[in-house]
Amino acid sequence: MLRLKGGRLYDPAHGIDGQVRDLYVEDGRIVADPGPDAVIHQEIDLTNRVVMAGAIDLHTHIGGGKVNIARALLPEDHRFDPVPATGLMHAGCGHAAPSTWTTGYRYAEMGYTACFEPAMLPSNARHAHLEMGDIPMVDKGAYAMLGSDDFFLRLLATGADQRLVNDYVGWTLDSSQAMAIKVVNPGGISAFKFNARNLNLDEAHPYYSVTPRQVIQSLARAVHDLGVAHPLHVHASNLGIPGNADTTLATMAAAEGLPIHITHIQFHSYGMEGERKFSSEAERIADAINRMSNVSADVGQVLFGQTVTVSGDTMSQHRNRRHASPDKWVSMDIECDAGCGVVPFKYRDKNFVNALQWAIGLELFLRVTDPWRIFLTTDHPNGAPFTSYPHLIRLLMDRNFRNSKLDEINPEAAAHSQLRQLAREYDLYEIAIMTRAAPARSLGLSDRGHLGIGAAADIVVYRDDTDREVMFAKPEYVFKDGRLIVRNGRVVEVVNGAVHVVKPEYDKGIEKPLKDYFDRYMTVKMEHIKVSDDEICGCGASKIIPHKCSVRSS
Amino acid sequence: MSDTFVCCPFCGLLCDDLTIALNDGQAQIESAGCARAVKLFVVPRQRQALVAGQAVDLAAAYRAAATILARSQHPLMGGLACDVTGHRAALALAEKVGGVVDHMNGQAQFRNWLPFQDGGWMTTTLSEMRNRADLIVLAGTDTSRFPRFFERCLTPESQFGDLHRQIIALGTNLPLTPGRPTDTDLAIPIRNERLGELFAALRARLAGHRLDAPDIAGVPLAQIDALLVALHAARYGVLVWNAAELDFPNADLTIQAMVNLIKDLNRTTRWSGLPLGGNDGDTSAAQVCTWQAGYPLRTAFEASGPHYEPMLYATDALLESGDVDALVWISAFDPERTPPTTNCPTIVLGRADMTFTRPPDVFIPVAVPGVQHTGFLHRMDAVVALPLSAAAPADLPSVAQALVAIQQKLNHAAA
Repeated sequence: MLRLKGGRLYDPAHGIDGQVRDLYVEDGRIVADPGPDAVIHQEIDLTNRVVMAGAIDLHTHIGGGKVNIARALLPEDHRFDPVPATGLMHAGCGHAAPSTWTTGYRYAEMGYTACFEPAMLPSNARHAHLEMGDIPMVDKGAYAMLGSDDFFLRLLATGADQRLVNDYVGWTLDSSQAMAIKVVNPGGISAFKFNARNLNLDEAHPYYSVTPRQVIQSLARAVHDLGVAHPLHVHASNLGIPGNADTTLATMAAAEGLPIHITHIQFHSYGMEGERKFSSEAERIADAINRMSNVSADVGQVLFGQTVTVSGDTMSQHRNRRHASPDKWVSMDIECDAGCGVVPFKYRDKNFVNALQWAIGLELFLRVTDPWRIFLTTDHPNGAPFTSYPHLIRLLMDRNFRNSKLDEINPEAAAHSQLRQLAREYDLYEIAIMTRAAPARSLGLSDRGHLGIGAAADIVVYRDDTDREVMFAKPEYVFKDGRLIVRNGRVVEVVNGAVHVVKPEYDKGIEKPLKDYFDRYMTVKMEHIKVSDDEICGCGASKIIPHKCSVRSS
Repeated sequence: MSDTFVCCPFCGLLCDDLTIALNDGQAQIESAGCARAVKLFVVPRQRQALVAGQAVDLAAAYRAAATILARSQHPLMGGLACDVTGHRAALALAEKVGGVVDHMNGQAQFRNWLPFQDGGWMTTTLSEMRNRADLIVLAGTDTSRFPRFFERCLTPESQFGDLHRQIIALGTNLPLTPGRPTDTDLAIPIRNERLGELFAALRARLAGHRLDAPDIAGVPLAQIDALLVALHAARYGVLVWNAAELDFPNADLTIQAMVNLIKDLNRTTRWSGLPLGGNDGDTSAAQVCTWQAGYPLRTAFEASGPHYEPMLYATDALLESGDVDALVWISAFDPERTPPTTNCPTIVLGRADMTFTRPPDVFIPVAVPGVQHTGFLHRMDAVVALPLSAAAPADLPSVAQALVAIQQKLNHAAA
C-alpha cells in the first residue's frame, strides 16, 4: 500500500477545495484509510503539494485517418521536434501532429491520464483503434461520427421511426467501439459531395432534403434514449464563418432541452461587426450557455504559432484552403460515411483575425460561469497543439499575464475585444473541475476524474508554483492506475492504457437492413466493418472498459 | 471470425467476399477469387529455414540473423510486405538496431508522397466512387493489376439510382481489359510519359489560357477542349492512376499535374483522385510508420530520432551507395517478390514457396497473413482496415513472431 501524505487535494467531485488529506493506494485504486495497524509499503510526503486526479481531455485529435494524413503532410514540422528512442520510450516526433508514442508520453508528462479522440469515422474505426493502440500511458476512447453518412440520411429522409435511428446509433457505437456520438457539420459533409458549399441549419440537403436541424434532433434524441452518458457532441454548421454565432445559438436551441455539447465553440462565436466584418460574439454565446443548463461546450482555444487543422468538415476545410500555411491541403470524401480535410495553419498574433480568435476563446472561458459545463481544449491540433495547455491554464489563472499577452497582439483586435475588462482568474478548484471532474462526469467515467475511495488511482501531484505554466507543464508525480509513470515531468515507466467504450442496448434486427445496404452498395461487408471486443487488444490497448448505458424512454 | 467471408490480402482492393474451403490443409477459393488470389492462397504449410543455403532449425536461423544485425551499423528493413503486426515489429527492430525502412513498392509510393507533401490533394475511397462516380478517367492504367476493380468498384447499381457511367481512358494500354461491365466511352492514346503535359494543358485551358500549339502530346487542341467540357459536366468525377505504372523519371510531377487539375475543377464541381496501390501491404506499411514515427517510410532511426529522406532512402539507392550494410527483406505475400541483388548480407523473411537463384545468407519461412495467420491490413485508400483470417494455419512463424525472436537473440547477444 502506498500513502500519499499531507498533500493539498483539489477534488471537486467531492467538494474538496485544497484541504490537506492523505491518500491511500492499493492495487491501482484509491482506498480508505486502513487504520494505524496497516502496513504501508511506501510513503511519499506531499506537504505543500497540489494533488488532483489525472486530467482528462475530452476533445483531442490523437488518432485516426485524418491525424495520420496530417502527420504525413508535415515532415517539415516534425523535423524541428525529433524524439529519439531512449530504451524506455520509442522514437517519434512532436509538435503539431505528434507521432502516437510521443502523444502518449507528452500527455502523461503534463498529468493527463485519459484522452478522447472526437472524430472516428465508423468506416475508419479499425484503423483508429490500431493507431490509438500505439498511444501509450493514457486511457483512450473515441466518438463515432454520424450525421453525414448515407445510411442515416436515408433513414431520416424516408421518415424512419426514431426507434430505428436509435438502433442504428446503438449499433454504430457498439460496432465501432465508441464512447459517444459526434456530428460534424450536420449533413454538410454529405452535401459537399453533392457540390453544395454551404448548408445552413434550416437549409434542405441537396439530395435528401433533410435539414441539419433534423439531423441534430434525431441524433440528440437517439443518444439520450440509448442512455449514453455524453451528450450528442456537435461540431455545428458554418465553422469559421463571420456571423456564425447566430447558427450556434440556433443549434443550441435546436436540441430543445435535450443534452447537447457544442465543441470548439470558439470557432463558432463570430460576429460581423466592425470594418473588417469580423467580431466577437463571445458574450452572447456565453450568456446562452449560462442560461441553458442542457448545453455544455469545449472552447477550442487558438494559441499562436504553427499548427495543422484536421476535421471531418470537408465543406469548411475546402473553404479554408486559401488560409493554408504552408500552402498545401488535403480533402477526402470517405466511404458514403463522412470525409476529412487537413489544412496547416499558422496563427499569428499580429494578424487581426487570428488575434481576435485568441481573445474570443479566452472571453468564452471567462464569461461562462459554470466550470462544469465548459472544458479546456485547443481542439488539438486545430487551435494549437495540446502541449500548449499549461500556457493556456496560466492565461486563465493569471490576469496580469493575460493582459501582458493582450498587449502583444494585433492592437486593432485588442481594441475590439472586451478581454481586458474581464477580471476573472480561474482558481485551482475550477481548473480541477474543467480538466478532471467535469469531463469525467460528462463522459460517465464514474471512477475517473476524482480522488474518492474506489476511484482508479490516476493521481497527479504538482509543486505549487505561482507561474502556473511551469507548474502544470511538469508535475512532480503522475500515477496511472496506481503506478508511478512520471517523475518531475519525465516518463519513468511506460504503461499501456485501456480503451473506454459504451455498450448500449439496441435491437440487433437493425443488422438486416444494414447487411442488405452493405451488400448492395458498399465495397466492404457489414461483418467486416464491425470491430470486435477481442480486436481492441489486438489493436494494442491493454484492455477494453465497457460502460453500461441505462435506457431512457423517449 | 465467425462469418463465412474471407478477406483477400493479395492486392490493394482487399476484396472481402471470398469463400474458402480447406482441402488437405490448403486453402482453396470457392467463390469470388480472381486468378491472382486463386494462385496465392495456395502455399505450403512447412518449409525449412536456411543459413548459407543449408537447412537449419528456426532457432539457428534467428541466431544467424541476429549475428548479421549485430555486426551491421546501418541495416535496411526492406520489403515490408506483411500485415500491421509485422510492420509494428519491423519498426521496433529498425529502431532497436538503428535501421532504415523502405517498402518494396517505395518507388511507386513516393511518386504519390512527393506531390502529396508538396501541395496536398483531393481523393476519394472505393465505396464513394462506386456510388457516385459518373465519369471515371483512367490515366495510364487499365486497372488490371487490381483484377476485380470494375466488378467491385464500378457496378452500375448505386444508392443514388443507376449511374450511367462514362469511362475515359488515357494511355497506350488500350483497349482496356475485356470483361468490364462498361465500355470505354473515349480512349485517347498517349504515352504515360506525356500525361503530365496533357494535364497541364487541361489546367491551362480551364484557367482560360490560350495554347499556341496544334496539339499537346499528340492530342489535338479540339480534343483537349472537348475533354475539358466532359470533365466539367461530371457530377462527381474520379481520376484514377496507379503510380506503379507511371514508371519513368519524375513521374511525381505527372501526378502533381493530375492532382492540381482535380483541385482546380473543384472550384465549381466535384472531382476526386483515386491513387491505386496498396499491394503487398504497402498502404499498411506507410500508415504504421506514419503514426509511429511521423513519416511515411524512407525513415532512418538515428540517435537524434527518426530522420526522413524521401529521395535518399530508397532501397535501390541505399544498396548501390553502400549506405546500408545489411538487408532484411520481408516478403510474406508474393513468392516472386524476392530481394534485390546486393552484396550486403541478406536476411529474407519470405513465403514458404519462395525460391532463389542465389540463396540469401538467412532465409526464414514465414506464414502468409490472411491465409496462415490472422492480422490487420489496410486497403489502398488507407481508410478501411480489415481483419485477415487464417483459413489454413501453418506451423510457421508470422513475420512479427520471427522479428521478435530475432530481436530477443540480439538482446541476448548484447547482454
